[in-house]
Amino acid sequence: MKFLIQLIAILIAAALLEIFLPWWSIAIGAAIGGYFFRSNMNFLTGFLAIALLWLVKAMWLETQSTSSLTESIASILMVKSKTVLFLVTALLGGLVGGFAALTTSLIKKS
Amino acid sequence: MRIIKFLISLSITLVLIWALDKSWEVNQTRIPPLGKFLDPFHGFWQNLEPTHYQFPENLDIPGLQQPVTIIFDSLMIPHIFAQNDADLYLAQGYVTAMHRLWQMEFQTHAAAGRISEIIGPGKDDAVLNYDRSQRRLGMVYAADNALRLMIKRPEARLVVNSYTDGINAYIRSLNYRSLPVEYKLMDYSPENWTPLKCALLLKSMAQTLNMGDKDMQMTNALKLFGPDLVNLLYPDREPVADPIVEKPNAWDFEPVKLDSVPSALPDELIKISGLTIPDPTIGSNNWAVAGSKTQSGSPILCNDPHLNTTLPSIWYAIQLNAPGINSMGASLPGAPGVISGFNDSIAWGVTNAQRDLVDWYAIHFDNLKMNRFLLDGEWIDTRKIIEKIDIRGKEPFFDTVTYTYWGPVVYDHSYRSENNRKYYAFRWIAHDESEELMTFYELNRARNHSDYMKALDHFSSPAQNFVFASVSGDIAMRIQGKFPVRRKNEGKFVLDGSKLSNGWQYFIPFEHNVMVKNPERGFVSSANQYPADETYPYYIQATSYEAYRNRRINNLLREANQVTVQDMMRLQNDNYSIRAEESLPLLLSHLDSASLNEVERFAFKTLQSWDYTFTGTSEAPSYYEAWWTNLMPLIWDEMRRDDLSLSTPTSWNTINLMKNHPDLVFYDLQSSPEKESLKDIINLAFKQGVEEVEKWKSSADGTNRTPQWAEYKDTFVEHLTRIEPLGIHVKHGGHGSAVNASSRKHGPSWRMVVSLEKTGPKIYATYPGGQSGNPGSVHYSDMLERWSKGQYFNLMFLHKPEDAGQKLFSTMNLKPKKK
Repeated sequence: MKFLIQLIAILIAAALLEIFLPWWSIAIGAAIGGYFFRSNMNFLTGFLAIALLWLVKAMWLETQSTSSLTESIASILMVKSKTVLFLVTALLGGLVGGFAALTTSLIKKS
Repeated sequence: MRIIKFLISLSITLVLIWALDKSWEVNQTRIPPLGKFLDPFHGFWQNLEPTHYQFPENLDIPGLQQPVTIIFDSLMIPHIFAQNDADLYLAQGYVTAMHRLWQMEFQTHAAAGRISEIIGPGKDDAVLNYDRSQRRLGMVYAADNALRLMIKRPEARLVVNSYTDGINAYIRSLNYRSLPVEYKLMDYSPENWTPLKCALLLKSMAQTLNMGDKDMQMTNALKLFGPDLVNLLYPDREPVADPIVEKPNAWDFEPVKLDSVPSALPDELIKISGLTIPDPTIGSNNWAVAGSKTQSGSPILCNDPHLNTTLPSIWYAIQLNAPGINSMGASLPGAPGVISGFNDSIAWGVTNAQRDLVDWYAIHFDNLKMNRFLLDGEWIDTRKIIEKIDIRGKEPFFDTVTYTYWGPVVYDHSYRSENNRKYYAFRWIAHDESEELMTFYELNRARNHSDYMKALDHFSSPAQNFVFASVSGDIAMRIQGKFPVRRKNEGKFVLDGSKLSNGWQYFIPFEHNVMVKNPERGFVSSANQYPADETYPYYIQATSYEAYRNRRINNLLREANQVTVQDMMRLQNDNYSIRAEESLPLLLSHLDSASLNEVERFAFKTLQSWDYTFTGTSEAPSYYEAWWTNLMPLIWDEMRRDDLSLSTPTSWNTINLMKNHPDLVFYDLQSSPEKESLKDIINLAFKQGVEEVEKWKSSADGTNRTPQWAEYKDTFVEHLTRIEPLGIHVKHGGHGSAVNASSRKHGPSWRMVVSLEKTGPKIYATYPGGQSGNPGSVHYSDMLERWSKGQYFNLMFLHKPEDAGQKLFSTMNLKPKKK
């Protein structure tokens, strides 16, 4: 339960922060979730929350468009396919989210 | 313990963010900042434009005086309705930037020699050397001179300033999320637009069109081969073309004559290797047919300028409407107005007027400091400009460019110094003050032939063949530009820069330029061929003149009657090659058909039954092309040297020489001890060509391909960055020697057919790309398919916004921003 609450908290916080701040605001969102909504799997929740957020958003944008830009970018970045590009996107976001959440969960609550 | 874990985890987080927020260079390739770039809220995913993307309906624009309405049609062509000129051009700047900002900036950076700033010095400093050559050719100097005159005219000043304001209003509205994807990929941001950039863009077009220059190559040829052979290999005028204007003995004016004596021809070798000239088959077509020859009784005007087919497209279609103007057509992103188009009363179009407008002067300096040079016995001071070239990731490079009376010294001991410390200054018509923008400003508003003539009087460079037709029934052609009066052979070779009399002393008065109105034959046309019949009283010379398209167009137009718009579309897409007709029988007659193997015999048979038409689905053109492209280097192997540059004779003259000089020394191969005859190398080229096609057949992932021409030619519309995945391969017939002059990366960059009917002009057009410069938009290349099939779009030309009706795609209202 705690896990789920933390995951949703990070997801919402990061999504809101991304409206106003650059990409690294996902770290702030995850950090907030890591500090205020601790679980026993802080890294994993941080990772999953941001990975999920980025994956869903990227896939949503992709379905709205008929252009082949995603394939072109995948090819420019030398990843095999569109699918791999989605996964790389999720992975990179996830890593930042995971470590940010883990970091603040290690601060002692007074 | 916990604190250590905390510190480690914190460090990893911060390092990750840092590393993903910056771009990295790995093996000379720049990787975008991955976190920033892949973030779906701000990164490249945001450049995926929804298929039914709607613009913001209302926008507040600072600097606007009155509201402006912009209607976008289904092709995303903007139709701008403004209440005054200032607002009209501001809106043009705004929408053009909205679709093409990255391209506009990149092209002007390239013109100004600023590419190292974006992508670094390149492999073996190739990019830096490109930048240096642009600086040394005086591109910014040329643009400065153009701008100086431009802003003296109140209309032109208003136009460029408003256009600039519009672009900058758009740039100010951007953030990382909304940046064009190329900026994100290469990790940089746009700078403010300036009127100078408009001038730079026009100069960059002049560079594309004027730099077919071979003075140094010709100088070397003169020294190595002597004057007789030079005249045989590179005649001033090939006795073939159907000139643009024929008025034998009817040029009723007294030509300007130079009384000074020309200097002796140079006697030197210029040891600069690798000088190239653009593909001589490039060019453009335009023509107009009088109402007497058309089915509707109204004139029809056609234009297809051939340029590099790149993405984002070179052209941007637009309609401009304000009091005094209702004009539509192709614009150049970065230059205000319409360049090739029409209005309610007239239509016009352009092709390049081939003429030598570039000269090189050998300079004698007093010493290596290059502070003074000799001119008519006196030492004259030079002017130095220090060019600072910023290089991404490195210290800036400083280059000193010396300006003489003639122009900038391009080659000296610090640039291409292999030439024994000889110095050459560069004289180019585009260095002079000019006001091309006024021409287009007035053409866009012209009502009749006399308005067109007045508009053209502002035009000095790059010289163009301006075709004209009006609703009132006139057709005309005028070759307009500033042309120096030359003595025979002058400008063909490098000139002695120590004599003032070698300069451009007079220009041909505009009223002596080649022009014609309503000729008896009922049509006018141009295709980069020789401008006038032999009785035209001025000496004319250029790198090369087109020999085939012009004859094909004129042959068909001469015969044609009851011409329809569809006939004209067919003519623009005509793939018949007179070059093939005039060369293939000759080649086949030399072929030793008894000694052919199986595939060679197949190729031989295919070629024997060919109709000389470069149809996308036939195989013969592939064999012909492979044969020809192998033959040319075999004949002209003498012209390829590592130590200096020489120029290859034209295709037409090569065929002419093969027919009439079967014993020319050049047929012998330099690389072999035997003596080859013409027959030998024609057979050798055939075998090499067939082998090339055979190799091509089996090259694609194991499957055996049929060498259909469109597949073999493989037209590739390349992205300006040359990033392969952003380009598009398309199947399209055509050939440089056919009216549809489509080669692999070059071809009709805009096809327009305008029927000037009394009830209003009817317009059909297409181009190889689309209105949007965004590779994530459906409008990036939505016109490409029809272009490749030779089909057209029926363009919507409006008189008021309400006329759009159902065809309306989206409307945008620009409103003055309250202070």
